[in-house]
Amino acid sequence: MIEQLLGLLLSLVDQTGLRSITLGNIFMMIVGAVLIYLALAKKYEPFLLLGIGFACIVSNVPGSDLTAPGGLFFYAFRGIELVIIPPLIFLGVGAMTDFGPMISRPSLMILGAAAHAGIFIAIILAKMSGMFTITEAGAIGIIGGADGPMAIFVTMKLAPHLLPQIAVAAYSYMALMPLIQPPVMKLLTSKAERSIEMTQSRPVSRLEKIVFPFVIAIIVNLLLPPVAPLITMLMLGNMLREVLMVERLANTAANDLMNVITITLTVAVGSTMAADRFLTYKTLVILGLGLVAFIGGTASGVIGAKIMNLFRKEKINPLLGSAGIASVPIAARVAHVVALKENPYNFLIMHAMGPNLAGVFGTAISGGIMLALLGVK
Amino acid sequence: MNILPMTVPDTLEGAYVLSIVDFFLSIVIIWAISLVLYLFPFLNKLGNVTDESLKSGH
Repeated sequence: MIEQLLGLLLSLVDQTGLRSITLGNIFMMIVGAVLIYLALAKKYEPFLLLGIGFACIVSNVPGSDLTAPGGLFFYAFRGIELVIIPPLIFLGVGAMTDFGPMISRPSLMILGAAAHAGIFIAIILAKMSGMFTITEAGAIGIIGGADGPMAIFVTMKLAPHLLPQIAVAAYSYMALMPLIQPPVMKLLTSKAERSIEMTQSRPVSRLEKIVFPFVIAIIVNLLLPPVAPLITMLMLGNMLREVLMVERLANTAANDLMNVITITLTVAVGSTMAADRFLTYKTLVILGLGLVAFIGGTASGVIGAKIMNLFRKEKINPLLGSAGIASVPIAARVAHVVALKENPYNFLIMHAMGPNLAGVFGTAISGGIMLALLGVK
Repeated sequence: MNILPMTVPDTLEGAYVLSIVDFFLSIVIIWAISLVLYLFPFLNKLGNVTDESLKSGH
């Protein structure tokens, strides 16, 4: 009788995950908990980190079928694999974004390209390590674009097997930009430079804002077909916003749809952090290279702004260069906060949004050229 | 003349070439887009679209 009872209990235990939990699983659960701590206690991008952290913890509980075929997290990840989610995120971003700051001051757009040297530093270092092929190095480099959907998009084309590591690195570093960027920005600028106040930008008319998405969609589809799906959706969302006639559609894209996609995306990214796939030496190297790419991009943006100042009569605040790294609006906010600490009357946010938005195009253009050079369509 | 499509070789030199060409072309394309944006104020000479006229249009 007792033997039967014990046998029954053991078979019950077998059906749970208790017997197959590993140290790796426990380690990754702690990683997930740290992400949640950063979101809740430090308020670092809770919209991203809460979903990623939660899914990371759950995915490392053995026995759960959430990440197996048939599980909901599995299908969330399929949305990424099939490159459905990144364009939808861009649709929402477009519907949320006022491109006015970029249209009003085109001279600062170049910072959106300057702040992407980090991508190329990471590519070269990845190749120097001898651990990665050129396509893998390209996918790792794109982490430095600080644009999650673009990183996913390019990685799915170049090195889909590295998606978990690259997606996690991109989103985690984006959330941690308030920690990563300021030391680099302060190191490369003087107090006087950080205190430079910007002059008022010109107002942008409604007609300009309506024409903008059409012009950009045409240019990108013409010159950069590999990344056209993302930028086209960005411009579609922006057009819905700016015409003012379809407020319901614009609001749906910017709010309800965006919220659903954000939940799906963060859960999908977190669910890729299972210990057996994630805890490898390559992951550590990729995370390291991703960090180098972010630091390199921030530095090159600031240096780019300082080079611009050599040729300008009206000096710009070099902190604006760091916003060129994309990651809207986190990088612009970081530039604003750092400037505000030096001069409490220096509100840089709207000025930083210009290079920040240009950074989105900078990443897309870099990614598109990279795909073309590597012969990937 | 037939130009054969070429891709970057999977070497360290390839990484250098990819990086330099990509960075340079990114700057050129972004600069070209900014030039287009410099023309945008001229759109306002074509006419004026007010928010009110758009909002009341449906």
